[in-house]
Amino acid sequence: MANNFPAPIPHDWHPSGTADLRATAVSPPVSQWSKNWRQFRRNPLAMFGLVILLSFIVVAILAPAITSFPRGYGQPDELVNPPTGKHWFGTDDLGLDLFAEVVWGSRVTMYVGILATGLALGIGVPIGLAGAFYKGRIDAILTGLTDIFLSLPVLPLMILMAAVMGSTLFNVAIVIGIFSWPQIARVVRGVTLATVEQPFVEAAVAMGSSNAHILWRHLLPNAVPTLVVNAFLTISRAVLSEAGLSFLGLGDPLQWSWGRILQNAQRNGAFVTAWWWAFFPSLAIFLLVISVTFVGTALNEIVNPRLKRR
Amino acid sequence: MSRYLVKRIGRGFVTVLISVTLTFLILRLMPGNPADVMADPHMTQELRESILKDFGLDKPLAVQYLLYLKQLATGNLGISFRSLQPISRIVMERLPWTLMLTGSAFLITIMLGIPLGVISAVRRGSLVDRTINAFAVFGNSVFIPWLAITMLYFFGYKWNLFPIGGAKEIDVGGWEMVASVVEHLVLPVATLVLTQLAQYVLFLRTSMLDVLQEDFIRTARSKGLTGKVVIYKHALKNAFLPTITMMGLQLGYLVGGAVLTETVYAYPGLGRLIYDSVLQLDYPVLQGAFILLATTVITANIVIDLFYGLLDPRIRYE
Repeated sequence: MANNFPAPIPHDWHPSGTADLRATAVSPPVSQWSKNWRQFRRNPLAMFGLVILLSFIVVAILAPAITSFPRGYGQPDELVNPPTGKHWFGTDDLGLDLFAEVVWGSRVTMYVGILATGLALGIGVPIGLAGAFYKGRIDAILTGLTDIFLSLPVLPLMILMAAVMGSTLFNVAIVIGIFSWPQIARVVRGVTLATVEQPFVEAAVAMGSSNAHILWRHLLPNAVPTLVVNAFLTISRAVLSEAGLSFLGLGDPLQWSWGRILQNAQRNGAFVTAWWWAFFPSLAIFLLVISVTFVGTALNEIVNPRLKRR
Repeated sequence: MSRYLVKRIGRGFVTVLISVTLTFLILRLMPGNPADVMADPHMTQELRESILKDFGLDKPLAVQYLLYLKQLATGNLGISFRSLQPISRIVMERLPWTLMLTGSAFLITIMLGIPLGVISAVRRGSLVDRTINAFAVFGNSVFIPWLAITMLYFFGYKWNLFPIGGAKEIDVGGWEMVASVVEHLVLPVATLVLTQLAQYVLFLRTSMLDVLQEDFIRTARSKGLTGKVVIYKHALKNAFLPTITMMGLQLGYLVGGAVLTETVYAYPGLGRLIYDSVLQLDYPVLQGAFILLATTVITANIVIDLFYGLLDPRIRYE
């Protein structure tokens, strides 16, 4: 009996109107990109953020070329020395170069920030899309779950999980990612609720497109600009979470992370005797977080021009 | 209102159940013998066996879960690996300090955040607005331990204005003790307020700007009401409602901030307990501290929502 039905319309077929709408959402013409870039460039804070962010990325990639990995002990006559020409950021209690520790720490931060954000997107996007698309009871359950996770004290939960799983860099990234999805799910659901009402989605439904196809090819592309903005916010939160976990002693003891340097400083009571020890890693965290925030905010103003007026 | 109340408390109960289930699942993630999560191999055989029996750690997972819920319902959170004391007693001793710290930080943040948010919205684009915004961005991006360490260095060590840690002097009583407690509270509370304030100010500012564009504000102005009345009685009242929702969501971050703050200031609350227990890998304490913190945040959220219900006539008269 199934054979008597007309052949289904191929999934890549679109009435011209729908295809046009989709094209603007998925890949804006080049002129849109250059317009956006011009707006971005005119924002001094955004450019400042971009330059700092790119510098951190370069430092993280080139770390082995910049300085050797700090291990073992330094010179016995150079314990807890203030910054000098030889050690720009000073030395710690083992005589190790703090500049090298901070440089290598940027790798850990990047690794955790990107892996955790990727995982958060991987969990948050499907949940947000599904809630907005299926509506009804599914939406109620998913939204309820999202709200519950948003309201829980996440840091103590991350601490518990990291302690149980063991302190490796990978585990720390997983733990942060697993508890960072609710914010993503929330914004994806918000954007998608508006997209679902668009005529081209109705057209896709009428044409018999599968749900997966509609979610993947129509709804997701429309959420991408918002997702990019929120990925930046998630990265900045992940950087702070990683630093926090390492500061509390849950970082990987074999890797230098900015939080771990701070933890060493704290354990040694260095805030009274050696300001440089805590200062430089903290400055690195601050600069990275603030540059990611500036870039994210500028992108947000491009995506939602309404915000610009504020 | 009463239906709202029942619904809200029901949801709070579900949230507690979910957090408890989460901790149960997380603890089962540990590689190796699951019994080691609740009972330290170094404990005496007797104690170890009684814990294994309480929590059914040799039974199937479903039975373990039910027994776990039963133990929690009776207030049994297990035994600390380090001090061998019941965890319920340990965490309840710490809770008041954390409540005092986060509670004062919360109230002060609201008291500062509302006027600052209103001023920056009303005087949008002015120097005041831009300064407030710059501070807000700073507060949002700063790593809490750094702020705490820096304040400790200047206000505690260098200028000797405040004590450099702890919660009170040991041998004082009466009013002297109250003064000592307040003195020890200043720096940790200031740290938390500085990091929390940004959210409040920026959120209220946006929300005020939205409301100030509404028609009823123009109507109020054209009726001849003064600017102050329009702003505080008409605009703020409406802008404040979404801000209350945001406050509830911020509580989780406030507690996370308290863990870091207490660590730096050696403040004897649950956060410092968590820090000390991480070093010892004292899992039952970490679990108990999280459950208690989560329950506190959930309860506070219910209270905030009730407050919202009282302020919002759409819910009040339902």
